[in-house]
Amino acid sequence: MLELDEKFFGRFGAEYSPNQIIFCEYEPGYEFYFIQKGRVRIARIINDREKTIDVLMPGDVFGEMAILEEQPRSATAIAMEHVRVLKFHRDNFDALLQGNPQLAYKLLLIFSKRIYDAKRRLMILLLEEPSLKVMDVLIMLAEQNPQYDFESEISLNSNSQQIASWAGMAEADAQKELTHLTRVGKIDLYEDRVVVKNIRDFQRVIASKRKHMFS
Amino acid sequence: MGGSLQGGIMTRAYKPGSIIYFENDKSEYIYILKSGRVILTYTKIDTGEELKEEVRQGEFFGVKSALGKYPREETAQTIGETVVLALSLSDFEKMILKNVNVVRKMLRVFSNQLRRLNRTVRTVLGDSDNVNPQLELFRIGEHYFKIGDFTKAIYAFKKYMEYYPDTDYAKLAMDRIRTINSGGTAADSMPVPGQKKSAPDSFDSFSMDDSDGGFSFDDSPPPASGQKGSSSSGFSAGETGSSSEFSSEIDDFLSDSDDDLGDFSLDEPAKPKGSSLQDVYNRAEASLEMNNYGAALEIFREVITRASPSKPNEKRLFIDSYYNAGVCSFELKDLKGAMNYFAEITRSYSDTDKLKGAMFYIGRIFEMAGQGEKALAYYNKVMNMRPRDSINSKAMDRIQALQKNR
Repeated sequence: MLELDEKFFGRFGAEYSPNQIIFCEYEPGYEFYFIQKGRVRIARIINDREKTIDVLMPGDVFGEMAILEEQPRSATAIAMEHVRVLKFHRDNFDALLQGNPQLAYKLLLIFSKRIYDAKRRLMILLLEEPSLKVMDVLIMLAEQNPQYDFESEISLNSNSQQIASWAGMAEADAQKELTHLTRVGKIDLYEDRVVVKNIRDFQRVIASKRKHMFS
Repeated sequence: MGGSLQGGIMTRAYKPGSIIYFENDKSEYIYILKSGRVILTYTKIDTGEELKEEVRQGEFFGVKSALGKYPREETAQTIGETVVLALSLSDFEKMILKNVNVVRKMLRVFSNQLRRLNRTVRTVLGDSDNVNPQLELFRIGEHYFKIGDFTKAIYAFKKYMEYYPDTDYAKLAMDRIRTINSGGTAADSMPVPGQKKSAPDSFDSFSMDDSDGGFSFDDSPPPASGQKGSSSSGFSAGETGSSSEFSSEIDDFLSDSDDDLGDFSLDEPAKPKGSSLQDVYNRAEASLEMNNYGAALEIFREVITRASPSKPNEKRLFIDSYYNAGVCSFELKDLKGAMNYFAEITRSYSDTDKLKGAMFYIGRIFEMAGQGEKALAYYNKVMNMRPRDSINSKAMDRIQALQKNR
């Protein structure tokens, strides 16, 4: 967690009660936030339904796109419980960076990670067959945890709904693919996790597909 | 290639055409081009096309993948004799901590890349990127308004008024906030001009936000017939089990003590001669509107006695009077009396539009009597009854209040 000078708490601290909106999708945004306490839900309204995109924890940053660009918010941030944040206006950004180069470094890390995640997601979405999309989501989930040994079975803590969301598919369609993979013995499907027998196998399939995608 | 140590930072010299790293390599080094030339070759992921980019002297490369600890996104190759500085992550950190301007520049590049990527992701997912943020902000408010998440609706509408004060929608936003503050709901207020979807559509799947204290409602669609006052309100038809369960609770409540129950119909009403039933009813309603419950109750009782529910033209007045007599009794804190009136509506007139209000009041009665669980059961029923109107939102308010006090 980011260690900031005590004086910043007084100057930049803000608090939110449960279910309170911190900022709203499409609202012009000039501030970014560091979570000090409590969880924050990031959601978008898609087809008249509120979908949770992410749940952020203390130490996380959100609204960071507002730092350098004048664009409306791309999602809504909602306090899940009592939330305490540090809230920085883009006008203070330079002063903030000068006084807290640690923060600058942390922001670079965050952007690097987000860019990769977005790119990885795009790679999944660009695969045409639903079966390949689901496979690649499983690979991506495995890649996210450096602890996994790719030479043996890997247990992923994700359910079919999360997998469907990553793959940009309806849950029923993702479920169908997962059921198929279970039937052919490639995975074991549980309510809250998926066990992949041989992730290298999936990687080979996807790599070969990508190689020929544009030829 | 040769290397030399320079205060933790390595200086590396490469021959022409050398590869500094390949796409998909994993490495935590970040490089600065000192002299010579370096070409980065990317494969565009959406078209497969190869992109080349030359690094300028003094520039960093390999930053993102090193920081994010993921595989290299590009291949870095030298042209001509080239010297680079190779920094470990901690060297890099130390270096940029002294030069915030470099960080700011990098952040700008990164944020542009992220914005572009997100746009492509949205396009692939079929989300239109061609939207008007002003209108969309209003729509966010509408969404929360329709599902009854009023805290969030008010936030969006207020922001809308703040940023776009001189628009027609700002007036509408203000109207929405007023409606919410006066306890109304989407059904009571004017439609949004030019909005294609009719309000009832969006009611099909009603669910409260699950972050809202873990309380959520059944998502299943209601019975097909949605006409006002029909039994589609989800209580009578097909739910006999729960209905009788509820009835027995009411009986329990009423038999809790041996108070005289429901003496309402025995009183001989003061019959003002020559006035029509409708006139009498109107007088009662006027008293009710002035919160003159005692007087109103007297007159509603009179209508009940005079009217005959079997006559089609009097049935309406009879039932409305029954209901309003219940409201008056409730306001007069005569809980048993009120329960009698409302229970009769759930028993004999469950096919009328007064059923939901009666159910709500039964919930209130249980709540006042300290029986929170039963109250909740009734409020839950009310929440899912159609058409959705201010009674539904009042039930939701009561549910939230009860849950808070648990």
